[in-house]
Amino acid sequence: MVSAAAIDDSSLQLTFVLFLTVVVITLFMALLTAPQRDEISEFYLGNRAMSPLRNGLAMCGDYLSAATLLGSTGLVALTGYDGLMYLGGTTVAWMMVLLLIAEPLHRTGKFTLGDTVALRLPRQQRPVRVALAVCILAIATLYLVAQLVGSVALLTQFTGVPSGTTRTLCVVVIGVFVILYASLGGMPGATVIQIIKAVMLVVGVLFTAGWVLHHFDWNPDLLLERASERSGSGLSFLQPGLRYGGTVSNKLDFLSLELAIVLGLAALPHVLMRLLTPRNSGVLRSSVLWAVGLVGAVCFGAGIMGLGATALLGRDTIESTDRTGNASVLLLAHELGGSVLTALLTCLAYLTLLAVAVGLTLAAASSLAHDLYSEVIRKGRASETEELTVARLSGAVIGILGILLALIAWGANTATLAFLAFAIAASAILPTIIYTLFWRRFSAKGALLSLYGGLLCSVLLAAFSPVVSSAPGSFYPEVDFAWFPLQNPGIVSIPAGFLLGWLGTVLDKGPAEEPAAHEEFEVRMLVGADD
Amino acid sequence: MPEYSPRREDTPPFPLPHIEQTPPSRISDHPEFHSLRRAQRRFGIRATILSVGGFLLYVLLSSFVPAVMNQPLFGRLTLGLTLGLGQFVVMGVTAWCYVRHMRTRVDPLARGLRSRLYETESRRARAAAPAQGAGQPLRHGTRGFRTW
Repeated sequence: MVSAAAIDDSSLQLTFVLFLTVVVITLFMALLTAPQRDEISEFYLGNRAMSPLRNGLAMCGDYLSAATLLGSTGLVALTGYDGLMYLGGTTVAWMMVLLLIAEPLHRTGKFTLGDTVALRLPRQQRPVRVALAVCILAIATLYLVAQLVGSVALLTQFTGVPSGTTRTLCVVVIGVFVILYASLGGMPGATVIQIIKAVMLVVGVLFTAGWVLHHFDWNPDLLLERASERSGSGLSFLQPGLRYGGTVSNKLDFLSLELAIVLGLAALPHVLMRLLTPRNSGVLRSSVLWAVGLVGAVCFGAGIMGLGATALLGRDTIESTDRTGNASVLLLAHELGGSVLTALLTCLAYLTLLAVAVGLTLAAASSLAHDLYSEVIRKGRASETEELTVARLSGAVIGILGILLALIAWGANTATLAFLAFAIAASAILPTIIYTLFWRRFSAKGALLSLYGGLLCSVLLAAFSPVVSSAPGSFYPEVDFAWFPLQNPGIVSIPAGFLLGWLGTVLDKGPAEEPAAHEEFEVRMLVGADD
Repeated sequence: MPEYSPRREDTPPFPLPHIEQTPPSRISDHPEFHSLRRAQRRFGIRATILSVGGFLLYVLLSSFVPAVMNQPLFGRLTLGLTLGLGQFVVMGVTAWCYVRHMRTRVDPLARGLRSRLYETESRRARAAAPAQGAGQPLRHGTRGFRTW
C-alpha cells in the first residue's frame, strides 16, 4: 500500500512529544471535570451551563472525524471535483440536524434516543429500546474500528508499513486512552477533548488553507489552474467523473454514497447525544448555528487544502506515498511549513481520531447502560450508582471490543468501514427518528421493523458487495459472491428502512398506543416542558 | 409500571366532580397549537427539501449531464464548481431564514402556549392537591431525575 515513509524522523519525534503533551493535559482536565458524584445526568449530559459557542465547538468536534480531515482532503487531491462534492455532502448533512432534528429531539429527549422513542411509544418501549441499542452498538463499533484502524494508517505515514508489535501498540495505546476518557470522564471529559480538538481543527485547517491561498497570491483561479496542470489529468480534474464516472453503476454508487452521507451523518449516535446537552432549546439553536458556521468553514478549508496539495506537490508524489491519498494533508504541511507544521497537523489528526472515538464509545455505553440495562433488564428499578457503574463498565467493554476488532481488521479500508456506519445510521436510525417525531400513527412494530430491517439490509448488501469479495483490495479478493454491484448500500437500504417502518405501522394490528401518549409527546415537542 | 396513583385507598369512592367532569382545556386542541405545528413542520420540510434535495440534485446533474456542468464561467471556474460553492451560500441563507422564521413565527406561539400550559397545570395541581395529598402523579421512569 505504502511505498516509503512520507515524513522524516525529526517531525515524528516532535509529533510524539506534542501528542503526548496534549493528551496528558486533556486527560487531566477531563479527570478534573469528571462527575464528582454518582449522578447519571452529569455523566450523560455533562456541564449543561455551557455557552452556545462552546456547545457549537463540541458539536463540530463530534461531527467532523479524522476521515474528513485526512480522507476527504486526499480525495480532493486525487480526484478534484468528485472529492469536492464529497466535502459538500458533509457540510449539507448538518442542515438536516438544524432543520429537522435538533430542536424537536432536544425538547423530547432526556439521556438517549431511546428516551425520546419511549416517550412516544410508552407501552412497547422495551423491545424498541433493545432494537435501538443493537443498532447504536453496531454503528458505534464499526465507526470506532474505523478510527482505530485509521490510527495505524496514520502511523504508516511516518514509519512505512509498521511491524506487528508497533501496530498492536498503537491501537492498544489509543484504545486505552479512549476507554479512560469515556469511562472515567463521562460526558464532561468528552466535552473537554471535543472542544480542544475543535479549536485546533478550525485553527489548523483555516491556517493551512490560508497559507495555500497566500502561496498563490490569493488568486483562486491560479490555484485551480496549477492544480489541474499538476493533477496529471488536465482539465478533467475540475470536471465530474474522475473517480465515480464512466459506467452508470459507478455514478449510482456515488449517489448512494452521497445519500448515506447526507442522511446518515445526521443520525450518528454520538452526534444525536451531543444535541441533548445544551441547557434549553434557545441555547441549542445558537449552538447548532455556531456549528453550521464551523463545519462549513472546516469543509471549505479542507477543499482548499486538497487542491493546494495537488497544485504544490503533484499527483504522483501524493499517490506514491499513499494510494488512498490520506497522506496529502501531511505532505502539504511538510511542503509549506516543514516539520513543525507537519507535527502540528499530525497531532491534530490523532486528536481528532481520539475525540471521535471517545464520543462514540460514550454514546454506545450510555445506550447500553440506560436503554438496555436500566430500562429493559432492571425495568427502571436500577439505582443511579448501579446504572453509572454499568455505563463505565460498558464503556470499557466497547473500547476493548473495538481494540480487538481493529487488531483483526487492521488492513481494512477506513473509509469503507465509515461509509457502512453512515449507511446503517441512515437506513435504521433516521427513519425511526423522523417517524417518531413527525408521524402520528407510527407504532412500535414499525419502529422494530425499520430498525432491524434497515440494519440487516445495509449489512447484508455490504456483505454481498465488491467491498467484501471479488474486487482487488477487498477482504476476500479470490472468491466472488458479490451479486450486489454497488460498494455503498445506501441507495437501496435507506428507502428500504423508511418503507419497512411504514409497512410495519400499517400492518400493525396489535393494541394501538393511547392517543394521549402522542398528544403529550407532541405538546412537549412543540411547546416544550420548561425553558 | 404503576399507571395509577399508588395510594388507592385515599381515593374517594365517588368521582370527584371538579377533576373528572370538567374536561381540562387541552392544549393540543387549541387552534394556536395547530398553527404552531403547521408553521414549524411546513418550514422544516420545505427548507430540508430545498437544501438537501438541492444538493442531491446537484450531485445527480454532475454525474449524468457533465456537459452542462463543465461550461466555463470565469477562468477555470466551471458552472459545476460555482454551484458547488453555491451550496455553502444556500446553507447560510437557509440557516438565516430558519432563525428568522423561528423567531418571528414559531417562538411567540410556543411561548404563549407554554404559559397557558403552565397555568392549566398549576390550576389542576391545586385542584388535585386536597384529594391526593401532597403526592405528585407518578410518571414512568421517575427515579428522582425529572429535569428534562
